[in-house]
Amino acid sequence: MSRLPRALGRAGQYALVLLVATTVNFLLPHLAPGDPVTYRYGGETAGLTPAQLAEVRARYGLDESLPEQYGAFWAGLARGDLGVSVDYNRPVADVLAERLPWTLALVGIATLLAFAVGTLLGAVAAWRRGTRRDAGMVVGVLAVDAMPGFWIGMMLIAVFSVELGWFPSYGAVAITAEGAAGWLEVAQRLVLPVATLTLATVGSIFLLARAAMTSVLDEAFVRLARSTGIPEHRIAVRHALRNALLPVYTNLTLAVGTLVSGAVVVETVFAYPGIGRLIYEAVLARDYPVLQGAFLLVTVGVIAANLLADVTYPLLDPRVRHDRGTGDVPAVEATR
Amino acid sequence: MIRRARTAAVLAAALLAAACSSAAGPEEAAGPTTASQLTIAVPEDVGPLNILNQSDDPLTFLVYDRLVAPSPYAEDPQPWLATEVRNVDPRTWLISLRDDVTWHDGEPFTADDVAFTIDWFKRVPSGTYSHHITTVPNIQTVEVLGAHQVKLTCGFNCPFLGSVTLAHVPMMPEHIWSTIEDPESYEGLPVGTGPYRLAAHEPGQSYRFEANRDYFAGAPLVGTLLMPVIPSPTTTFTALRTGEIDAATQFLPPELVDQFRNSDDLEVVTTTPLQFPELRVNFLRAPFDNPEFRRALSMAVDRKELNDTVWLGKGRVADRGYPHPDSPWTNPDLRTPYQPQAARAMLDSMGFADTDGDGVREGPGGPLNFTIYVDGSVPVRVRAAELVSEQLREVGIGATAQTLDSGALSDLSDSKDYDIYVNNITAHGVADPTQFIMSHYSGYLWKLPDVPYPALEALIAEWKATETIEDRAAVGFRMQELFNRQPTSIPLHYPSGEQAYRPEAFDGWVESPGYGIVHKWSLLPREVAREAGAIIEPGR
Repeated sequence: MSRLPRALGRAGQYALVLLVATTVNFLLPHLAPGDPVTYRYGGETAGLTPAQLAEVRARYGLDESLPEQYGAFWAGLARGDLGVSVDYNRPVADVLAERLPWTLALVGIATLLAFAVGTLLGAVAAWRRGTRRDAGMVVGVLAVDAMPGFWIGMMLIAVFSVELGWFPSYGAVAITAEGAAGWLEVAQRLVLPVATLTLATVGSIFLLARAAMTSVLDEAFVRLARSTGIPEHRIAVRHALRNALLPVYTNLTLAVGTLVSGAVVVETVFAYPGIGRLIYEAVLARDYPVLQGAFLLVTVGVIAANLLADVTYPLLDPRVRHDRGTGDVPAVEATR
Repeated sequence: MIRRARTAAVLAAALLAAACSSAAGPEEAAGPTTASQLTIAVPEDVGPLNILNQSDDPLTFLVYDRLVAPSPYAEDPQPWLATEVRNVDPRTWLISLRDDVTWHDGEPFTADDVAFTIDWFKRVPSGTYSHHITTVPNIQTVEVLGAHQVKLTCGFNCPFLGSVTLAHVPMMPEHIWSTIEDPESYEGLPVGTGPYRLAAHEPGQSYRFEANRDYFAGAPLVGTLLMPVIPSPTTTFTALRTGEIDAATQFLPPELVDQFRNSDDLEVVTTTPLQFPELRVNFLRAPFDNPEFRRALSMAVDRKELNDTVWLGKGRVADRGYPHPDSPWTNPDLRTPYQPQAARAMLDSMGFADTDGDGVREGPGGPLNFTIYVDGSVPVRVRAAELVSEQLREVGIGATAQTLDSGALSDLSDSKDYDIYVNNITAHGVADPTQFIMSHYSGYLWKLPDVPYPALEALIAEWKATETIEDRAAVGFRMQELFNRQPTSIPLHYPSGEQAYRPEAFDGWVESPGYGIVHKWSLLPREVAREAGAIIEPGR
């Protein structure tokens, strides 16, 4: 198949994914009991009259039927308008834009660290498989992986904030410092949440990398390399690890896709103002516009990550380039 | 009549005290009573304090003031932005204003602002303040008599206007809000007359308040208030332990109280929050529409067991009914004792009998099996719902606790699609005597006029006809007696609220009725707060 039809076909798939995901994400919050105006203004001691409540509902377009609201949502999207948050009473785009950088910093750094550390440790464990070092690493990493994220966070706070006083225990923004000192404080406030998220996710990466590396080390081409007298470290890095990285890379691109959805638990423990906490609070408040906007962001993130995988995978794996030249095997699916 | 008698002398003393950097005597505070900056955690971002949206009174009234202070929850509120509020006849009040008050932007505060505020709250959808102007009481006209004098006329007798309504409604600047077409969406920083101006608001993250050095009641004792938003109590109190924050508006979780009391760096004070968890019963649904059944239900709830088991003995047994016993407007003789035998007898006499021996009585509508809904994110309330279920079973009423999230609970409350649910009701509901009336119209305590309640309606008519505070309070007491004989809200526990702070940073905290310790009265010269009747004196 030539490139243009394939690109068009893939674009159609993405458009379908966007449509289905957005529709489901629109419908689900509406199906849950409650609505944002009742939650926000419906307290019986607040005393809004039914007419006033109706006025508030009309202001947010919640007096219309569900299909009408759905149509208005897409019409707004076409204009680049995500609507107005009922809970924050502000444009959803502004609310998301304030939270997104913090989530990208927190989850982005933690994801890269988790993949770097997890892959390295997994490769080393596989290379030394069957030894005490391998067993120790597996036990250690699994023990950390078994701990809930909030618990890791609380332990880090207890040690590094309460006992040692090295890092702040909450928040993202510099409270008082400005300029370079302010950025330093932002970095300091990032340390413990990033460490928590890294520790909470590194285990699965470690196991994946270890399994991939173990599998590759059993391949014939590794035995062939050994038989030709290539040094062990070179076999490990240039032959085995490069091939073992492929499934790890697939997982990394998928993780990048969910990056914008934040990390609810860690953001809550550290009072970090990210998208995860925003989504959690919006679910409780039934803040439909924020949920629709945030879920759209997540959907677009996942599609963009798939696109990234599609584009970059052939660069890493010549077999995919070959398949694409002769057959029709999609990049990511080819490695699963 | 409420008149400020010793204003000048008090302010002079206060300013002197502030200049000497100490507002409180050594017997009241060991640590500093002034500070250049304090960091105080708040649990929620309530936006840039737009009065029509989410509100948090302690934060809101750092920026805004009322004509009468401190709040409707205090015993003896005093003129604040007013110098005198006078009830010239049962429906008419004359209000004289201070002439030395300016808004944060330098504009003078005048009678036009008062008139604008009253009219504005009639137009905008803010139930919290509006219904106190349009309904109870019903302020029909506002007449500006001069730059600093207004006359308010009510639709029916309004002896509570000075002590309750004017102690509740914030004054809004006409020159700002009269030009805003869509006030609910206004995102600008607020302009008030209060001791602090909101200098910055980082959505979801923090507030920064700066002292209004020209405040008419004296310069605030703390220059800058940094208020990070920290929703989690665990995170909040860890930050307090590490010294990253100096105080918190949240109450200490019970399990941390002793640990914090034993700390050398922290001080813990016990306050009385004007709020309580309550059992709400759906009076629109049988058998809860039967006043005798509601009474039996109330008598079957063992509040002492709830206090001892669920709340670990902290706080008080809720055996004095509704509203909160610490409100100055609550009948001190109210009692709602635990009487399971009497409850059984009443249920028997109503014809509810356990005919099949399963422990649950049956009636005309079938077995008395009910669901008690409760917010699953508040474990202590879940435990209370479970214990109440067990207690009700003791008198033959089957009940099962079921958890929901807060969004689903608000829907349930709005749709009245429930038997019983556990709610938490705050100061406005349990300590404001006019809200008690409003709550019988809003659907919370009753749904007048759609659902008739002749005995109560007669009392409300009598209440509206009273001409003095004393007479009105007396009729209010009778209404409360009637309510507690057939309650639609059963208080489960009167909580205490432990608040913690670092005395080395600031030790001037005082409790104000209903607001704990973090509010503007802690941050003003002590004599000023005392003169306003804004603080609860130790040992009282």
